[in-house]
Amino acid sequence: MNKKRILVIDDDTGLTQMVKLNLEATGHYEVCVEIDSTLAVETARRVRPDLILLDYIMPEMDGGDVTFSLREDPFLRSVPIIMVTALLANKEMSPNGTVNRGGQVMLAKPVKMENLLKCIEKHLLPAA
Amino acid sequence: MSAPDSPTQIVHREMRDPARTPVRILCVEDNDLDFILIRKHLRDARFSAPVEIQRARNIGEAVSLAEPVEGRAPFDIALLDLSLPDSCGVETYRRLRTAAPRVAVAILSGNSDEDLALDLVQNGAQDYLPKDSLTPDLLKRCIIYAMKRQHHRVEMEMLTDRLRRTTEELKTTQMQLIQAEKVESLGRLASSVAHEVKNPLGVIQMGLDFLEKRLPGAGDDVDSTLSLMHDAVMRADSVIHDMLDFSRSDERRVESCDVNDIVHCVARMLKHEIDRRKTTLRLELADSSLRTLCDPTGMEQVLINIVTNALQAMAPGRVLTVRTKRALAGNIPRDEGLREMNVMRAGDDAIVIEVQDQGPGIADDILNRVFEPFFTTKPTGEGTGLGLSVCKRIIELHRGQLLVANVSAPRGLLVSIVLKSEPFTETAPTTREGPMA
Repeated sequence: MNKKRILVIDDDTGLTQMVKLNLEATGHYEVCVEIDSTLAVETARRVRPDLILLDYIMPEMDGGDVTFSLREDPFLRSVPIIMVTALLANKEMSPNGTVNRGGQVMLAKPVKMENLLKCIEKHLLPAA
Repeated sequence: MSAPDSPTQIVHREMRDPARTPVRILCVEDNDLDFILIRKHLRDARFSAPVEIQRARNIGEAVSLAEPVEGRAPFDIALLDLSLPDSCGVETYRRLRTAAPRVAVAILSGNSDEDLALDLVQNGAQDYLPKDSLTPDLLKRCIIYAMKRQHHRVEMEMLTDRLRRTTEELKTTQMQLIQAEKVESLGRLASSVAHEVKNPLGVIQMGLDFLEKRLPGAGDDVDSTLSLMHDAVMRADSVIHDMLDFSRSDERRVESCDVNDIVHCVARMLKHEIDRRKTTLRLELADSSLRTLCDPTGMEQVLINIVTNALQAMAPGRVLTVRTKRALAGNIPRDEGLREMNVMRAGDDAIVIEVQDQGPGIADDILNRVFEPFFTTKPTGEGTGLGLSVCKRIIELHRGQLLVANVSAPRGLLVSIVLKSEPFTETAPTTREGPMA
């Protein structure tokens, strides 16, 4: 079975390393990392990910700007994006730490692997 | 002489300058001879403006004549004899002053009550005139000065009143500004703390997840260590969440809340502070849920404030008790000032949150001032004096009551938040989306 490719866009290198370690440990995923949000679209074009994990608060371009740019791109338009943010408050979340804001799926930091895996599985497009 | 029942009105105008505003005099004198003498003196005094004299023979008559008409005093000055058929001494002065606060009063005194007349001048009368040695000049001078003094007094009272109102407005605005600024800076702080703390927490969390997978069967010690670390991350995370929730003041809304949940949330937020002060928090919460319609953030803010005050008042080792219970509104002491606000009716179901500390309490003579803006018992620089006044405002917006009382055995302060209970219907006001598959 082909591994699914996940692109992690987050400026916190510790966090990206952990996500990569955990996801790749499952044996189902191949993880690419981009820590500079201004290069997000360029990297995504090169990597052609099956799903993008996107941090919200980043210098230069935040997660909202990056999403907008990705959606503008004809090749990246349909790639599912899961936004990861530190700014969610208790009341806004479902028990598994996610919320759907205007069609955008969001995960609250700190993310438990169990929740992250469920969320990724749910939003990955069925294999073409 | 005129009939004893009706007031005598004599209009004596000096014709040299009729355009001048008349001096309107009320002469309160029961003795006809004295009155005739005074009237003669007034005529001989040759005022530059016309003089209008009206007579009252007793205090009842004087009061009804002197009462303001459409907000204006009908007289400029009253010449007041203290010994009247229906009143004497201080009482005479007091009744006239109450009925006509804006009219100047000059006391007409006989030999017997000169000390009293002097005393009254100290207490608000403008002057006194010894009847035995009255002359036209003395009378004229007394009247003119008394009117001037009264005019200045009224003006000063008006200015003082305006100053008081302006100061009040300023205080209120200042209070709102400080509060808005606090909430805003807290919001900024919460966001930046959330970002800075949650990323490292995320690293630790994912590291734990990884280690759990890599170390299966590594022994109970490893398992329990990982589990403790996991709980610690969750605890740190919940503090940040609570702070974020609290700072979202712009998203305030009223919803059905269980006050027990609010107490738990606040207890979590202040756990560190409670431990740091080596105090103990005892929760005596009602078994059933206590639902009320409220803004949970506002209610948390109030409770945090009250609990923090209580902690600051207590020495290490003492116990802070937070209690929740149902009560009937009628059994709760009422704040007299709130009566007209139709807060709660006697017999209404109420929910009470009580915060009881074991501190020194607050001296009875200043207890009713604790809700005043800028009033504080804390050392200079430690309290703005705004906390409780803002709390009271929030509770009043909920149509509830905030009460303070000293208690004994053990000594301390008891602060009660009284809220109207929601009619008992189990609603499910959830905005959360269901768990993901």
